[in-house]
Amino acid sequence: MGVAPKTEPQAAVTDARRWLKSLSADARGPLRAAVIAGSLAGLFTIVQMGLMAAIIAAVLVKDQPIMSVTGWFAALIGAVLLRGLAQGLQTRFAAHGSARIQHEVRKQLLASWADAGPVRLMDTSAGTLAREWLDHVAALHGYFARFQPQMWLAVISPLLILVVVFRLDWLAGTFLVLSAPLIPLFMALVGMGAESVNQRHFETVARLSGFFLDRVRGLTTLQLFGQTASAAEAIRQRSDQYRRLTMETLRIAFLSSAVLEFFSSVAIAVVAIYIGFGLLGSIQYGPATELTLFSGLFILLLAPEFFQPLRQLSQHYHDRASALGAARLLLDRLQATRGQRPGAAPEEAPQPGPNGAAIALNGVSLTFPDGRPGLIDVSLTVPAGSITVITGPSGGGKSTLLHVIAGFLKPDSGTVSVLGQAPGRKPFGWLGQSPFLLQGSWADNLRLVAPDATDADIHAALNRVGLGRLIAGRPEGIHSRVAESGAGLSGGQARRLSLARCFLADYPLILLDEPTAGLDQASERQIIDALTELAHRGRTLVISTHHAAVLAMANQLCSVHAGRIHHE
Amino acid sequence: MNELIPWLRLIAARRKRLINGALLILLTLLAGVALLAVSGWFITASALTGLLLAAGLQASLNIYVPGGSIRLFAVTRTVARYLERVYNHNTVLQLLADVRVSVFRGLTTAPLAVRSGRSGAGWLNRFTNDVDTMNTLYLRLVAPTAMAMLASLVVIALVWILGSATAALALAGLLATAFVMASVVLYVRTRRSAGDQVIQTEQLRQSTMGHIEGQAELVAAGLAGDARHRLLERADRYTALQERLDTRTGWHLAFTSALVQLASVTVLWFGLALAQSGHISGPVAVLLPLAVLGIQEALAALPDAFGQLGATVMAARRLNQQAGLHNAVVASGSVDQASTAAARSDVNTGPVLVFDEVRVGGSDGEEAAYRVQPLSLTLSAGDRIAVTGPSGCGKSTLANMAAGLQAPTAGRCELAGRQPARLPDPLWLTGVSYLTQQTELFDDTVRANLAMADSRAGDEQLWRVLEIVDLADLIGNLPGGLDARVGAYGRQFSGGEGRRLALARALLKPASLLILDEPFTGVDRATQDRIKTRLEPVLANRTLLALGHSPDALPATDRHVPMAVLDH
Repeated sequence: MGVAPKTEPQAAVTDARRWLKSLSADARGPLRAAVIAGSLAGLFTIVQMGLMAAIIAAVLVKDQPIMSVTGWFAALIGAVLLRGLAQGLQTRFAAHGSARIQHEVRKQLLASWADAGPVRLMDTSAGTLAREWLDHVAALHGYFARFQPQMWLAVISPLLILVVVFRLDWLAGTFLVLSAPLIPLFMALVGMGAESVNQRHFETVARLSGFFLDRVRGLTTLQLFGQTASAAEAIRQRSDQYRRLTMETLRIAFLSSAVLEFFSSVAIAVVAIYIGFGLLGSIQYGPATELTLFSGLFILLLAPEFFQPLRQLSQHYHDRASALGAARLLLDRLQATRGQRPGAAPEEAPQPGPNGAAIALNGVSLTFPDGRPGLIDVSLTVPAGSITVITGPSGGGKSTLLHVIAGFLKPDSGTVSVLGQAPGRKPFGWLGQSPFLLQGSWADNLRLVAPDATDADIHAALNRVGLGRLIAGRPEGIHSRVAESGAGLSGGQARRLSLARCFLADYPLILLDEPTAGLDQASERQIIDALTELAHRGRTLVISTHHAAVLAMANQLCSVHAGRIHHE
Repeated sequence: MNELIPWLRLIAARRKRLINGALLILLTLLAGVALLAVSGWFITASALTGLLLAAGLQASLNIYVPGGSIRLFAVTRTVARYLERVYNHNTVLQLLADVRVSVFRGLTTAPLAVRSGRSGAGWLNRFTNDVDTMNTLYLRLVAPTAMAMLASLVVIALVWILGSATAALALAGLLATAFVMASVVLYVRTRRSAGDQVIQTEQLRQSTMGHIEGQAELVAAGLAGDARHRLLERADRYTALQERLDTRTGWHLAFTSALVQLASVTVLWFGLALAQSGHISGPVAVLLPLAVLGIQEALAALPDAFGQLGATVMAARRLNQQAGLHNAVVASGSVDQASTAAARSDVNTGPVLVFDEVRVGGSDGEEAAYRVQPLSLTLSAGDRIAVTGPSGCGKSTLANMAAGLQAPTAGRCELAGRQPARLPDPLWLTGVSYLTQQTELFDDTVRANLAMADSRAGDEQLWRVLEIVDLADLIGNLPGGLDARVGAYGRQFSGGEGRRLALARALLKPASLLILDEPFTGVDRATQDRIKTRLEPVLANRTLLALGHSPDALPATDRHVPMAVLDH
């Protein structure tokens, strides 16, 4: 048609559509069952309308006493009930199919997060990722539970009705046929515009949610600087902007349903007037002369039902549009991580380090995607059982070096061997700025790394990191709940919980990213004692820090400045 | 259900739009009913007249009035439907903005104590899902319910007038059953699942964000796969809940539709009986059941709304729990407009800040690690005092009290000679600049992050504070300079850089009292020393309360007050 040029977003929409289609393969059974149930509902509708017309004709034209048609009434009621049954089953099957597909997509996303690795994953805020995983996947529900089955029904049910109407009066059938193909045509035209608008709408919603999280997290700061009123105003403006964008989508989306409404209304009107005049005897050609009250009423009653599946389809059109918008973002996320596996790429052969070395880096360089140099020709050997401390100015590359050792980032050149293998192959301890907290008890949080640990083991580990007192103060001890970060634990406490895991699990290697940042001397002392104890037990520690007390523990000290390593 | 009252009140503020929108819905519905009913009447009348004419009898039928009406109803239905949709969705989105802003204002005026203990994930959820759920109130619940009732009453009245009271009564009985099944019964049956779903969404979101933020530790420990599996299982349970809701709603919809069809069958029976006994004409006997069929559309809108009512009530309850929400809706705006001059003039008359036997620590369960001797401290204008103590001993609580965010659980805290009447005290806040322990940066430009402290500050001033915190070079080299973005969570910067940026912002605020809580977290020693030197001139005319774990982690002060830990 050449109406919409194949611009880039158009291509992305096509990809998203193809992806959605491929997903439905995961729930072919239930989705098919839903279509069959819906078709049966359509069939019973035809029976119901036929019986109604027949009853009316029998009583009004043939003057049969109403008591003589009770059998027909019973059949009519039966048809109504069966129609309801089929309708209910349709929803049930479709909902089941959709649940299956959502499971599949969430699984794919989780796998893609794993592929991205922890460092690249945090480029996007956790709120955005969580929203994608929960809300955007949920946005696919309407597409599979409503739109897709209805797409089939919008073809099957009208066809069934057409067959009947053509047998009754081919001219009336022709009216319906003529109006029907125009509908998908118009809807396609209108839909094309709606899709690209809808895509923008989704991006706005995502940004809007990020905006909220951001302002709400910083609520105290907003209060301190007297900015709450302007932040509220900004939220109003953003919401307003969101409203305008959404209205753009809706104005167009509703246009397609208006087109449909128009055709269905006009078709009913035309059919009614044609039949009326035919019955009056004013139309002397074609099949009109053979019209009866039965066939006339039957056709009239079927006319709205002819358009009903299409109208429903258009009501579910926003389900499709939302799903496509969501699908595009989800597909972007899935594709962004594909083929960019960090660290432990399977083709990499293990490179054993020099004798007794836990870690060996040789000529490692890394440049960030934005062009900033991360590491430049870094070589480092860490003997097993030693404490290696990396220091240097903030932003100099300490964390990047740790990330490379951890296998979170893959160097552009050079070789890395950790515990005789490619980095990330063997479990190790990690202590960063945001420890992982399970919603559960202290015991649950520790058993995560050592499922067989006894309560005594757990107490011992918590005592090691100086959390024993805190736990003892809680009514349920190690079985009391650890609330989410910030709610129940200070940053230092959470970090010590993470360190307790290192005691419990038998990690040969522990990487620590500024383990004592923001802690008082007493807590710092406790952590240093714990680390010393870990080193005594033969664990290899690599610590990035600039705290003097931690620096003092080092068997090996090196500093990273502007991506270059200096051994001291 | 009472939970909805404040929201209904908020919505009622746009009464005129609501009524206009509702009238458009009613017009659409009635045009649809009339279109089908008059068509049926016309066809039957034509058929009967045609039969008389064919039999050679005198008969006539006014074809212009029904023909014209049919066309009119067809066009009215189309136009009214489109206008109704566009108009009402616009209304709803306006209401959404109203709701968002009033919720945000409610949060900003709530005391810190109410807010603490809730996590970012929970907050975000409240701002998106709950507010979005309130969206269903007008367009999906109030308007369709009212319109379904009105349209039903119109049709019942029609049957009463044109048919008989008995028929009308039977119809009323069936429609009332359909109405109750589609609304109250469905609500009762889905209330719990829908409520659970809202709760689970939040919990799942928190777990998801925890999963993402703790990804590094999980990957390192080799536990990421298990964690993914657990998360997916929880998501499946959540989807199953949605599936159940969907299925129940589907069955109720099917049942409701069947009841309306049965109502139409019943009216057909009564109509034909009346026609046969000569009480009404044949065409009228056809018109009535068709009119009943026409209102199916109105009732079909109900199950969707009532299936989600449980979630709506739940969301309303949680929003209502936000302290100060109702006040905020009323008193919005007045807080930030509080005169700043009044606060300033108060400050210099006596001591700036008095702590009298204030007890900190041990008030919250998680702070129970230490017992701290009650603290007495007087801070006069120009004083520079360092308060030190181990982390977790309650320094931040003290800082919050000094900033007027929190009240002491025991003892007295006077700000400028008076105890604040409300917390947070907006008057006091204008004279205080407070760097909180948590670095809170906004996903915006460097400029916007700084300028919130002093909207009149020019670029020169911004660069000056950046120079003090040793960030001028770094930011000068960023593409965009002051307009470079800080990124979600301030992630474009390292922890120490973010800390320094927050410090720069605190310094920029033209306030006489400066509270710095652990100002140098994550900042290396050399940079700390540079910053401390450059701070001197800025601190010259100010009162300083600095809190940290040791005096050497703080700017130079006149007096050092260690917090006395009773047992450790």
